[in-house]
Amino acid sequence: MEFWVELVASILLVTGATFAFIGSLGLAKLPDFYTRLHGPTKATTLGMGCLLIASMILVTYWQGYLSVHELLITLFLLITAPVTAYMLAKTAMHHKLQILEKTTDKTLSKRAAERMTP
Amino acid sequence: MNLLWVVLLPLIGTLVPLFTERFGRNICAFCVALLPAWSLILVLMYAPDIFNGQAIRQTIEWIPAIGLEVSFRLDGLSLLFLLLILGIGLLVILYARYYLSLKDSMSRFYVYLMLFMAAMVGIVTSNNLIQLWMFWELTSISSFLLISFWSHKSEARKGARMALTVTGAGGLALLAGLLLIGRIVGSYDLDTVLASSDIIHAHAAYPVALILVLLGAFTKSAQFPFHFWLPHAMAAPTPVSAYLHSATMVKAGIFLMARFYPVLAGTDLWFIIVSLTGLTTLLLGAYIALFKHDLKGLLAYSTISHLGLITLLLGLNSPLAAVAAIFHIINHATFKASLFMAAGIIDHESGSRDMRQLNGLWQYMPYTATLAIVAALAMAGVPLLNGFLSKEMFFAETLNQSVLGSLSWTIPLLAVIGAAFSVAYSLRFIHDVFFNGQPVDLPKTPQEPPRYVRIPVEILVALCLLVGIFPAFVVGDLLHIASFAVLDHTVPVHNLAIWHGLNLPLLMSFMAMVGGVILYYNRRHLFEFQSHFDTTDAKHIFERTIQSLVKAAESITNTLENGSLQRYVFTLLLCTLVMGGLPLIELTQNSGTRASIPLDGVTIVCALLMIFSAVATVIWHRRRFLALIFLSVVGLIVSLTFAKFSAPDLALTQLSVEIVTIILLLLALFFLPQSSLKESSNRRLSVDLLVAGLIGCVIGTLCYAMLTTPLNTMSDFFIANSKTGGGGTNVVNVILVDFRGFDTLGEIIVLGIAALGIFKLIANMRIAIPARDDKGRAWSNDPHPMMLEVVSQSLLPLALLVSAYIFLRGHNMPGGGFIAGLITSVAIIQQYIAHGVQWIKPRVTIDYQWIIASGILIATATGLGSWLFGQAFLSTWFDYFSLPWIGKFELASAMLFDLGVYLTVVGAVMLILANLGKLTTSERLDIQENN
Repeated sequence: MEFWVELVASILLVTGATFAFIGSLGLAKLPDFYTRLHGPTKATTLGMGCLLIASMILVTYWQGYLSVHELLITLFLLITAPVTAYMLAKTAMHHKLQILEKTTDKTLSKRAAERMTP
Repeated sequence: MNLLWVVLLPLIGTLVPLFTERFGRNICAFCVALLPAWSLILVLMYAPDIFNGQAIRQTIEWIPAIGLEVSFRLDGLSLLFLLLILGIGLLVILYARYYLSLKDSMSRFYVYLMLFMAAMVGIVTSNNLIQLWMFWELTSISSFLLISFWSHKSEARKGARMALTVTGAGGLALLAGLLLIGRIVGSYDLDTVLASSDIIHAHAAYPVALILVLLGAFTKSAQFPFHFWLPHAMAAPTPVSAYLHSATMVKAGIFLMARFYPVLAGTDLWFIIVSLTGLTTLLLGAYIALFKHDLKGLLAYSTISHLGLITLLLGLNSPLAAVAAIFHIINHATFKASLFMAAGIIDHESGSRDMRQLNGLWQYMPYTATLAIVAALAMAGVPLLNGFLSKEMFFAETLNQSVLGSLSWTIPLLAVIGAAFSVAYSLRFIHDVFFNGQPVDLPKTPQEPPRYVRIPVEILVALCLLVGIFPAFVVGDLLHIASFAVLDHTVPVHNLAIWHGLNLPLLMSFMAMVGGVILYYNRRHLFEFQSHFDTTDAKHIFERTIQSLVKAAESITNTLENGSLQRYVFTLLLCTLVMGGLPLIELTQNSGTRASIPLDGVTIVCALLMIFSAVATVIWHRRRFLALIFLSVVGLIVSLTFAKFSAPDLALTQLSVEIVTIILLLLALFFLPQSSLKESSNRRLSVDLLVAGLIGCVIGTLCYAMLTTPLNTMSDFFIANSKTGGGGTNVVNVILVDFRGFDTLGEIIVLGIAALGIFKLIANMRIAIPARDDKGRAWSNDPHPMMLEVVSQSLLPLALLVSAYIFLRGHNMPGGGFIAGLITSVAIIQQYIAHGVQWIKPRVTIDYQWIIASGILIATATGLGSWLFGQAFLSTWFDYFSLPWIGKFELASAMLFDLGVYLTVVGAVMLILANLGKLTTSERLDIQENN
């Protein structure tokens, strides 16, 4: 039994760590602010979710009762991460940060720019 | 009967004018007079016992544990002074009723007067040194108020300030002297002190105590060289001059010398200081008085001169001189008070006090003139009037002394000269004012005053005559018992009679009369001689001295507090370095015996990160936003450190405080320039760096030494007693709400006050709101995006739930009111950020001040609640209950206390942040609206 639990937890841990690493790598390597924003907000959030589920399984198994506060943490993460990303992107647009040419969807950004300028 | 009431009645009387003013002036004056009259009757009821040689005492315990008590005594000396204070006080109340014009606030005058009367009564009846001093200071303050009664006049304000400064400084000297006497004797009880004459005389500190007490007495009684304030105090309304500056307050110094006569007098030091001061004052006052053109100025200097005479008598080494001094106290009070009142009438009816204008008033007011002339003759010492008797006793005593050794013969000579001047200025008062031609340019045509205003003068002049003609019958007994008290129960034989036969004192009186007439007759030569001197106004010298003192104080303050925060911090750290660093040099080893905890990778990484962020904050401190981010990293790692080293409460608190601080700094940043110029020179930077580095070394060493020392503190006690005594397993929380609950109560009160102070500072602040950021970009026109709004709003109940959970579990698990309060505050601030003040304002209408107040009240009431159960303040109660569905749970009064803490924290944080936030919007408090 213990083996199976630990196997599932390990898979989740490794997956989570991989996602977190990819997120960090993206933050470091991607060329402009908008693309870099994807790393920590998407990949890392997913990674954190995996890690928290692993923690939940292990703690539940060891303590003998259902541990749910990891779910709460996940919930908070899932609420806050998109809002943070949104606010950051909005600020970047306000500051008119350089956008990679190939990522630009001209109609959308134009409309946004019209809305933003006072 | 109760001695306390003698003091209490005039004190209660200070309230009477406030309630009776609306019923008109007559009723007001009548009601004001009632209580002192009652007090006087009480005193008179005691009088038979006093005349039998008793002294009445009454003591009320105040704080027995430290020997504080309210203590009164009534003996002959007190009786004499009480009769003067209350008797003349009543006459002054009547006089002031007619003297004050309709423009003057009568109730204000009477309030001050009654306060002064109560203070004087307190001085003469106190049986405790400190209590006596307290009343002494009260006379200084109330006399300040009385002198500055016409506060629209510059001279009144200056005179009052001068009187307060001089008498107040003397009061401090007196306090020092009394404390010294108290230390020598070992008691502040006057009875004990008066009985320990030998101990005091033998003590090495006797000269110091004597000089300090005499400084107090001399300043109060306007003795040379402190006499200069009295003439300037004449800016007061005349009833005040008649009461304070002739009969009572200036006599307080004399009273003090008489009161301490048994213990302080009897040594050469006393005789030399007191007699020479008295003699100088006597001569100086009498001389200057002659040249004063102002009626009240003449009387003021004459008062100084007579006070000098009494002081001189107290300084002559014979008991009979003390009897003469007491006799002259009575006589001077009667004739000088009546003279002041007469001067007031003249001023009132003719509109001038200048003797160069006032001439020939006899034709206009013969009745008042008669009264004034009799009083002035008493002042001159003419036979059949009271002044003559005490002056003759004075001459007799100057012949019987040996104070100055072989030079003692000069004293009678100088006394006669002083008396001659006294006759001369009395003559001038009579001749210049009432005869000597016609009035010159008077503003009003003089006439007789109203009937009632003359009554006080008539009574006093009648007393002058009665005492002058039937001395033994009228004042013999009073003088005897007063001397009985002053001379420690051995009164020398004295004979109060008009005629003692042809003797030397009578001859001296005669010489003084003749000399005075000659002096007055040749006054033009004297005036001419006097006009060659520079007349320096003491007021200007005094003001100049005070101004230069203020300037010096200002320049010292400005040097110390130049407004540079860098410098304050630098000084503070330097002091810390010296005080904290020096003892460390004596510490030979800086590590204790405790084994260190093994290092691990996470700790090292965190520590390095923290060090890097701290250094980075310093390096990029001019790029404020960046510095703030580094600072928050430091705070976060500190919180994590707390969590790692098993201090979850601290970690939670630190985290919440960190969030609140960063929001606060962000708000402040809004008003600050986005980047600042380099302001410090390199030299300054290197010095600062050096000090900061040294401080770091000292603190680091201290921390290392502390952390490696095995723990053997009182934490063990807390850990052992937390569950059994406080009912909680979270030791930190039990310490906060139970073991050290009183500390917490104090802290939340400080927190509340600080928040209110900050609110007051920022509420009406008008800082320019920057329209653009540093790169010239306008602010976003969408500051509250809908996504943030919706998510924040939905997070609010969750956050409040978390805060309630943290609060409830606080007693047994990490948490508690403080942390819960911070979490709630952060949740509410989140709404402010997401929605803006405009959205919040109509939705949250709670006043944060009320939250603070109710928090403190709940905490205090919880503490007081334990009194109901006969327990000490802030004792906690707890018990376990069980309910169906919920199960067993604990109820503790500490939880209610914690609720108070919670509310105060929420109120304080919100009051500061919400109002600082409001400053950045158009929702700032409006001044009009606020008032």
